[in-house]
Amino acid sequence: MKEITNKIQEIATRLFNEDQVDVFLAWEQTGEEYRVKPYFARSAADVSNIVFNEYCIHNLSTSLLKFRDGSDRIGLVVKGCDSRGIVRLLEDLQIKRERLYIVGVPCTGMKDPLAAARNQSGFNNKMQTIDIARKCLDCIQPNPVIYDELIGPENPPLLQGERFAKVKEIENMSADERYQYFEDVLSTCIRCYACRQVCVACDCRTCIFDEMKPQWVGRETNVTDNMMYHIVRASHMAGRCIECGECERVCPVNIPLMLINQKLIKDVNDLFGPYEAGMQYVEGAKPALSRYDEKDPDDFL
Amino acid sequence: MKVLSKQRLETALNKLSEAAEVFVPMQKGGQSGFFSWQSFKNEQDELMLDNLNVYQSPKGVVLPQTEKMYGIKTQGVEINIDQVYEDDHPTLIFGARACDVKGILAMDEVFLTRGYEDNFYKARRSNNVIIAHACYTPGDNCFCYAMEVNPVDPAGADVIIRDSGDVYVWETQSEKGEAVTAQISDLLEDKDVKLPELGSFKIDVDYTGVAEKLKTMFDHPLWDKISEPCSNCGICTYVCPSCYCFDIQVKMWGDEGYRFRAWDSCMYEEYSREAGGGNPRGAAKERFRQRFLHKLEFFQERYGTPLCTGCGRCMVVCPNDINIVRIIDAVKEAEVND
Ligand code: SF4
Ligand code: SF4
Ligand code: SF4
Ligand code: SF4
Ligand code: SF4
Repeated sequence: MKEITNKIQEIATRLFNEDQVDVFLAWEQTGEEYRVKPYFARSAADVSNIVFNEYCIHNLSTSLLKFRDGSDRIGLVVKGCDSRGIVRLLEDLQIKRERLYIVGVPCTGMKDPLAAARNQSGFNNKMQTIDIARKCLDCIQPNPVIYDELIGPENPPLLQGERFAKVKEIENMSADERYQYFEDVLSTCIRCYACRQVCVACDCRTCIFDEMKPQWVGRETNVTDNMMYHIVRASHMAGRCIECGECERVCPVNIPLMLINQKLIKDVNDLFGPYEAGMQYVEGAKPALSRYDEKDPDDFL
Repeated sequence: MKVLSKQRLETALNKLSEAAEVFVPMQKGGQSGFFSWQSFKNEQDELMLDNLNVYQSPKGVVLPQTEKMYGIKTQGVEINIDQVYEDDHPTLIFGARACDVKGILAMDEVFLTRGYEDNFYKARRSNNVIIAHACYTPGDNCFCYAMEVNPVDPAGADVIIRDSGDVYVWETQSEKGEAVTAQISDLLEDKDVKLPELGSFKIDVDYTGVAEKLKTMFDHPLWDKISEPCSNCGICTYVCPSCYCFDIQVKMWGDEGYRFRAWDSCMYEEYSREAGGGNPRGAAKERFRQRFLHKLEFFQERYGTPLCTGCGRCMVVCPNDINIVRIIDAVKEAEVND
C-alpha cells in the first residue's frame, strides 16, 4: 500500500507541475488507519497529505459531481467499481472525458472504515470482523475499466461462489413472504437519503424526492412512504447501478440495498441484455434502459 | 443506598411499562436505538444497557421522526381542523446517557422557552420521565466533558442509575422520579456498594472561546476545505441527540387529510429552499457550515450552551470521516484577520 501511495503522490505531483490538473481527488488519513476521507488536493504542496491504504473504500467518482458545472481539470484515483462510476457519469453526459486524468488502482478488496469506526465506538453489541468489506466480496470487476494510467498488475475478481445467490433465495419466496420481508426491512429506513447522496448514479440535478411542487413521495417515515422511496430509488437504478456498494455500506440502519440493486442488475441482464452497467466506455453509449430496441420484451405492457 | 439487582431488571421494566411506554436501548435487527420495551422480542432483540450507547438517540421519544399534528376537512373554501393529535401518553426513557439527556434539555429550550411553546412537544415532554445511566468508561469518540455535560451526574434526569457489577445504584432526582421509584420500590434493596471511578477521555478538546471566535469566521476559507468531503447526506443530523429541525407537510385525499411534521436536515438542499425557488443555502458548503455554526455558535448565543453534547455519534456514522472535534480544533487554530 505504501508503494501505491508513493506512486499516486508521484503522479499527482507530476500532474500539478506539468499543469495538467487543477485538483486531484484521493484520500487523506486523519487519525487511526481507518480514519480516511476523500481529499481534494489543489496544488503540489498538498500532495504529501495523500494516502492510499486498505480503508480507501469511498467511491471518488461521486465527488466528480461537485465539479460538473466548472471547468477544473480533475485528476482522481479509482478502483474497479469507482471506475465504472466514471463510465456512468460519462454516459450520462455529466462530465467530459477531456477534463479527467484517471489513475487506476487494481483492487484486492477493501476494508470498511465505517465498520471499523463502529467497532471502536462502544455502540456495537457484536464486533464486526474487519476483513474484506461486504461489498467487495461481491466484486466482479476489481480492475479499473477506464484509466489514463494504471498502478500495478491486474487482479482476479473477488466474487467467490454464485453471483445473485441471495437474490435467488428471495425470488424463491412466495409473494406474501417476499412482501413481508421487504415490509420488515424497509420499515426501518430513517430516510436520511445517504444512499442517494453517496451514489454516483444518482446524478439528477433535481431529485424527485426533493421536488415539492408537486411532491411525488411523502416524507413520513412509515411503510407506505418508505416503500415508495425505495421503489422509486430502485427503479431509477435499473441498468444504471454500477454495483459499487456504497449505498448499502453507508446506510445507518443496515438496509440490504444491494439485494434490491442486484435483483435489478440480474433482471436487466436477463430481459434486455446481455448487459452489465459501466464496464466499458464507448462514446455515445447509453445504459440499457435509456434506449429503445424493437426486440425489447413488452409482454408485461 | 438503593440498588436494583440486574436480575430484576426485566421485572422492573415490565412493572414500569404498566404506567408508561418504556423506551430502552436495544439492538433490533439492523437497527440500534431506543425502542419500546413492549416490542422487545427475546429471540431477535438485544438489550444494550451494557453498551456505551446506541446509534439512534432517544430524541424520537419526545420528538418523533414523523408526528401527526392535526386533521383537516375542506368544504368549498372553508377549512376545518377536525382533530388535533396531541399525544400525551406517558413515556419513560430508561438508560439514556448524560449526552443524550442534554440533547433533550436543549430541545426543551427550543420548544418550551423564550415565549414560544410547542403544544405537541409540550404534551409529550410533560408526561415523559428520564432515567439516566451514569457513564464511568467513556468511549473513543466521547467528548461530553468539553460540552458542558457531566457524564457521571446527568443533569435533567429524574432518576440516575449507576452500574456497579450485579446491581444498579438507584438515585431519585426529582418528583417525577419519586413516583417511578415508588412504583418499583418492592424491587429495590438497601445495600452499600462501591461506585466505579470515572475513566479518562481519549479525546482532548477545548470548546472555550469557540462560539465567540466563530462570529468572525462566517466567510473564512476554512469552510471550503473542511466541507469538501461531506456528501450532505444528513445521517449526522438524524442520529444526533440534539438536532431538532423539522418540516411541516400535508397529505390530502380529496377534501380530507392531515398535517404532520417530519425530521428534516439542514444538510438538504430542499430544507432551505424558499417557496419562490430561491435558496439562501444553495451551496453544499453553506449547508455544511450551517450545521456546525448552529451547534457551536448560534445555539450558544441564544441559549447559553452549545447544541453539541459531545456524544460522538456523528463521528462514527459519517461516511466521509467528518469530525466535529477536528472542526473545533481547526476553528481554534484558524487565523482570522479582522
Ligand atoms: S467492490 Fe471491487 S473494486 Fe470496489 S473496492 Fe471492492 S474489490 Fe475493489
Ligand atoms: S441510507 Fe438507509 S436509512 Fe438512509 S434513506 Fe437510505 S436506506 Fe434509508
Ligand atoms: S445504487 Fe448503490 S451500488 Fe449502485 S451505483 Fe449507487 S451507490 Fe453504487
Ligand atoms: S458530515 Fe458526514 S454524515 Fe453529515 S452530511 Fe456530511 S457526509 Fe453525511
Ligand atoms: S453534533 Fe455529533 S457529537 Fe455533537 S451531539 Fe450531535 S451527534 Fe453528538
